[in-house]
Amino acid sequence: MIQIRGLRKWFGSLPVLRGVDLDIADGEVVALIGRSGCGKTTLLRCINFLEEYDGGDIRLDGEALWYRDDAARGRRRVSEAEARRMRQTMGIVFQQYNLFPHMTVLENVVLGPRFSQHVPAAEAEALGRRLLTRVGLDAKISAYPAQLSGGQQQRVAIARALAMRPKILLFDEVTSALDPELVGEVEDVIRALLSDRIMMVLVTHALGFAREIAHRIAYLAEGTIVELGTPAEILDRPKDPTLKEFLRRMR
Amino acid sequence: MGGVPPGSFALLLHGAAVSLLLAAVAIAGGTVFAIALATLAFSRLAVVRAVYGLYVYVVRGTPLLVLALLVFYALPALDLRTGPYIAGTLVLVLYVGALFAEVFRGGVLAIPRPQWESARSLGLPPFAKFRKVIAPLVTRYTLPPYVNVCVMTVKASSVLSIISVWELTLAAREIIERTFAVFTILGMAAALYFVMCFGLDRLGRRLERHLLRRGFVGERA
Repeated sequence: MIQIRGLRKWFGSLPVLRGVDLDIADGEVVALIGRSGCGKTTLLRCINFLEEYDGGDIRLDGEALWYRDDAARGRRRVSEAEARRMRQTMGIVFQQYNLFPHMTVLENVVLGPRFSQHVPAAEAEALGRRLLTRVGLDAKISAYPAQLSGGQQQRVAIARALAMRPKILLFDEVTSALDPELVGEVEDVIRALLSDRIMMVLVTHALGFAREIAHRIAYLAEGTIVELGTPAEILDRPKDPTLKEFLRRMR
Repeated sequence: MGGVPPGSFALLLHGAAVSLLLAAVAIAGGTVFAIALATLAFSRLAVVRAVYGLYVYVVRGTPLLVLALLVFYALPALDLRTGPYIAGTLVLVLYVGALFAEVFRGGVLAIPRPQWESARSLGLPPFAKFRKVIAPLVTRYTLPPYVNVCVMTVKASSVLSIISVWELTLAAREIIERTFAVFTILGMAAALYFVMCFGLDRLGRRLERHLLRRGFVGERA
């Protein structure tokens, strides 16, 4: 499980996260919603340390991630090697897919297991093929990203994240850049992951999808979680006036 | 204008082969040197970055001719008896290395931030990241300017004739001194330089097409 306590971050003098607390249980799916600039993407990126943060801590199965408190020297980042090891427990999927353009689909998926986790080539390739079959792209194994549609690229990106056998998957607005007719295929893949009972955090504007797959939804505003609850609680019976306003605008 | 003695062309051809060999060694050595240099430019330590900047500015800001004379006379003063070929190759490597390093630095800067983040999120160790992500991307981004420097290297090798490296330009000068066939011989030499440079250019284009066909098709629409 993930425990986030008092997470704070500034961009210069601008506070973007003002003390975020959030627990994610094993197998739980949490959606982060809120208007742009509310800090939801920053929160997601802090979880796997693509963003540094200034205070608070994040624990995965009890282990403190990214920073160590040292009696003599205060709060310090963990070493690069430790950060790499910790990152391998997480997978992230980006809005713009971010596949490596010079590698085939299979090479993209196999890269992490092969070179970060030192899985033997044959084994990594078998894993890659299995995952690509799972996202419905076994026919595109030797294609390059530029030869694929956005939806297909995003499915490869999900397979690439899964290839690390992560404990938690982070999704950063993964359908926002897609043409509307391609959204469904990516949502189908994410839906199918529910049976894996893997932790998932999704930053999303697709409220319908969030309602369907999230166990809980967190509504963020101005760098804090203002309301947290089941999809029905957040979307049907919102209490916070800014959340009500947000939902009205999203309809 | 005197007559051109038979065998002149063969001699020039031989000189051209030496020029090409010098350039090839300089390009290979300069590339390796430049990769090492360019990593300095991205050091976390400001001192190391300053060393990089200083080297590039000094070498790039000095005429190759001056640099060649400097190294040629400096090496014996340091008790290194090397002769013109070693000194000449060294000068070219040092010079071309600075130019390549700037090319590579530009290539690294051109890697989009999302690509770095992808590599980071996979937890790739530094060497794997360099070999599998940075190097292939930089190669694709920098091929045209890289070939540009390669072509320049072939022509720049002519400067080494000043420190008595026997290559195409010195061969031409020797023949001219004996025959006074200035324009014919210089014309032939120029033609040989052109052929070498043109060949390199075509090679670069083919490589470019080959690399870009694999994976960058969509980005060149």
